[in-house]
Amino acid sequence: MNPGMKLLLVVLIALEISFTQSLVVNCILIAVCFVYIMVKRMNFKTLFMLIFWPMFPAVGLFVSQWLYGSAGIHFAWVLFTRIYAYVFLGATFTLTSSITDLALTLEQDFRLPSKFAYGVLAAFNLMPKIREEVQIIKTSALMRGEVFHVWSPKLYFKAILSSIQWSQNLAEAMTSHGFVEDEPRTHYRIIRITGLDWVTFVGLFVIVQAMLFLIKY
Amino acid sequence: MENNSQVNHKQHQSKWTLRNIILIALIAIFTGVIFWGIGFLYTALTVALTPIGAAPFANDILMGIWCMAGPLTGFMIRTAGSAFLGEFLGAAVEVFLGGQWGAGAFISGLVQGIGSELGFTFTGYKRYDWWSLNASIFTTVVVTFAWDMIKNGYDKFALPLLIGLFITRYISTFIFGGIVTKMIVKLLDRSNAFNL
Amino acid sequence: MTDVVIHDFNYQYPESDKKVLNNLNLTFKDNHFSLLSGPSGSGKSTLLYFIAGLYPRFIGNDATGSITFGDTNIKEIANNQISAHVAMMFQNPNQQFAMDTVIHEMTFVLENIRTEPAKMDGIITRSLAFCGITKLRDRVINTLSGGEKQRVALACIVAMDAPVIVLDEPFASIDPDSRTDLIHKLKDLQENHGKTIILADHDLGDYEDLIDEFYYLDPTSHQIRLLNHDEAAKFFANFESTQRIDKRFALPTQSDDGAILKLRNFKLDPHNALLLSLDQFNFYKQKTTLITGANGIGKSTLFNALTKLLPYEGTIEYDNKPIKRFKPLAYAKNVTLLFQDAESQFLNVTVKEELDLSFKNRFNQNYSHEQVAKMLAQLGMQDRDDQVVYSLSEGQKKKLQIVEMLVMCPPVLLLDEPFKGLDYKSLRLITAFLAEAKDKYGQTQIVISHQLAGLEDLVDYHATFQNQTLTYQEVM
Ligand SMILES: Nc1ncnc2c1ncn2[C@@H]1O[C@H](COP(=O)(O)OP(=O)(O)OP(=O)(O)O)[C@@H](O)[C@H]1O
Ligand SMILES: Nc1ncnc2c1ncn2[C@@H]1O[C@H](COP(=O)(O)OP(=O)(O)OP(=O)(O)O)[C@@H](O)[C@H]1O
Ligand SMILES: [Mg+2]
Ligand SMILES: [Mg+2]
Repeated sequence: MNPGMKLLLVVLIALEISFTQSLVVNCILIAVCFVYIMVKRMNFKTLFMLIFWPMFPAVGLFVSQWLYGSAGIHFAWVLFTRIYAYVFLGATFTLTSSITDLALTLEQDFRLPSKFAYGVLAAFNLMPKIREEVQIIKTSALMRGEVFHVWSPKLYFKAILSSIQWSQNLAEAMTSHGFVEDEPRTHYRIIRITGLDWVTFVGLFVIVQAMLFLIKY
Repeated sequence: MENNSQVNHKQHQSKWTLRNIILIALIAIFTGVIFWGIGFLYTALTVALTPIGAAPFANDILMGIWCMAGPLTGFMIRTAGSAFLGEFLGAAVEVFLGGQWGAGAFISGLVQGIGSELGFTFTGYKRYDWWSLNASIFTTVVVTFAWDMIKNGYDKFALPLLIGLFITRYISTFIFGGIVTKMIVKLLDRSNAFNL
Repeated sequence: MTDVVIHDFNYQYPESDKKVLNNLNLTFKDNHFSLLSGPSGSGKSTLLYFIAGLYPRFIGNDATGSITFGDTNIKEIANNQISAHVAMMFQNPNQQFAMDTVIHEMTFVLENIRTEPAKMDGIITRSLAFCGITKLRDRVINTLSGGEKQRVALACIVAMDAPVIVLDEPFASIDPDSRTDLIHKLKDLQENHGKTIILADHDLGDYEDLIDEFYYLDPTSHQIRLLNHDEAAKFFANFESTQRIDKRFALPTQSDDGAILKLRNFKLDPHNALLLSLDQFNFYKQKTTLITGANGIGKSTLFNALTKLLPYEGTIEYDNKPIKRFKPLAYAKNVTLLFQDAESQFLNVTVKEELDLSFKNRFNQNYSHEQVAKMLAQLGMQDRDDQVVYSLSEGQKKKLQIVEMLVMCPPVLLLDEPFKGLDYKSLRLITAFLAEAKDKYGQTQIVISHQLAGLEDLVDYHATFQNQTLTYQEVM
């Protein structure tokens, strides 16, 4: 499915189940997403992480609602499954689509100006370097006799200085690689939203509506 | 820097140039990566608070940290939408780093983004000072809290608990989105880094 | 004809009181290979950024005078046409690419210049083959070493096929073999593909028989002169004389006496590919050990392990105690790293703030303020107190970085390519400073460098990094 459409669908459904309180629908969504992920890509370690980490907020919400909430145990379960529905909905997108494809379709089909599509993409592609850089900033501070914590303004200060510098370098490099803001470009890989995409999108959306309408428990 | 011509940053208005877009995204990712590092803190807090049913406090205690990217980018790139984009991308980073929120983070990002953006909207994108920062904090707290009423079932809690959560969130947002952000901006200001 | 003509050209940075480019009049000739040299901070990068059309777009103020390509003034070229005239390659291999993989970046470049999609595959295959990196086609750019990234950057430029190619010290962090190879590729582009090449470099090696013109940017007058044949020959001869190294090194005794850092059963494979495996290896106290090895062999990664930035297998002992048992701050005070990228070292904004930070937190009082001021003056770095560190020239950044870490004066200093982009004179000054820190204050130094000339007086031991092991050598 077109990654842009998929993201839209995932966010729409996630938004919807935030307002509805159907335990069964949450479970169905989790199950469907689970099957989808397994078909697309089997990786038990990722799967384990998906189930393990959300356990804490899910149980936390459940217990507090159960103890102090006025809406009873059913609602506590709704909150519990809602967290997992979010996680699995998100995973159907992140585990099966590439960010590059998302940028391409946002540029070509959703008419996002190319400077946003490629500017943000270029920054995201630096993510591994940014994780290293945060480590480097902390170490480099230690070597100058300063300790940086998450709440140290100077940590963010240096991170922003690096961002300023890197954004300048990247913008210059992209410009010298021929990128010009607001100018037309050709496309090697054309990503279209196909009829099938529309059918899938509308179909799935309607099914979710129907379920939410019919299944109230 | 393309917007270098405006020497006095108090008045400067920014444009959506390629460079500024990359800058917002980079700041969002940096903050996202830094916060992600304390994910264990959230989990630990949750574990500690769950037995007494106070787990939502973990969320509210750390809310300020999660909402820092918005005010920061709003302050740095002074134009409509920058706070929203920064906050939203910051949340999106969590999704890609494999945070525990999945699609929920996209939605929180949208909500928090709208929250921090509104503060700057109300001050007309004209003032960039302690006042507009506080406006942004206020809107962030109100909007995100309203959202948690729905999403995390806060509306089912009794009033005292609700007030406790609200105050916790306000303090946290004030400390991180306000005081820490203000200190960062002051460092940037003094160093003239806006004109780097 | 695409001569690049610079006419009555003047430029001064907004917050500075001196012109960096002073009334330049010169012509980089069509289809020539022009080399531009001049000491660090003389203004080479500034000029190249103007020629590439990046300035004044990315800087606050404009220059006076004109730059023309053939008959066209650069100001009259539309933004979307610039890349049809000129392409630029930068010194820093990082933050140069927008996309994740090599092939994506290449298509991104071709899309930008509106190449027909049907032609792209052919162009990409040919460009990659030309640069000798066909097998990197699908690699993720973040996982390439600096040298490989520079080859990808060159492949992008080849694909863009602009008539003028501008290069700003493109080989500063590249190993000698790759460097020779890439310089010949550039010659090929000029001779067989009609390109005009304008290249700035400090290191004059390999150019003598290849270049057509040698320009020198004088640091005091800030003017550029085309050298005639004899003058150029003198520059090259001068440079050659600094390159002859015939020093032999002692091999350390195998014993642990005097060893300050000990590696035992050490294995390094942070990215799931074994980089280094050592049963036992020592670095010695109050000695300078030089490590050399090809790009991407794992030198920086070794330093990252020594400073606890990356995990490793086995043990590293500092002063007979495993480094894992040190607290982070305590360890950082003892074993300190001079990062490959100078900007990683900076925590503040201006030169003065940076130096003040070092003075405030230094671990001992070895250097006096006067001494440091004198060192800075010798390096030509005086009167820069209020300059933003990020706006320093590449060489100036390196100099500041080294001085501020000398002020800290840690017992062990690891230096990752400290001489990158430095002119010979500055390099000799720095090696003298380092020798002083070692002899007078007992510092242990481990140096990674591709650049060897001028280090012979400083270095005590030389270890090569090859075939996943480190071996002490008797020769340079
Ligand atoms: N933005 C800036 N503001 C003020 N001064 C600057 C700025 N950028 C560069 N300079 C100064 O201009 C001079 C020329 O810098 P440039 O980078 O062109 O030197 P360079 O010849 O390329 O040196 P290197 O060989 O060290 O790279 C330097 O003294 C530098 O400090
Ligand atoms: N994140 C990563 N994932 C996979 N491989 C990586 C990653 N980072 C670095 N590498 C690889 O590790 C190897 C060692 O890199 P390192 O930077 O230590 O080389 P180096 O010897 O310092 O090279 P140079 O002389 O270019 O600085 C390289 O081959 C590089 O491609
Ligand atoms: Mg330079
Ligand atoms: Mg290296």
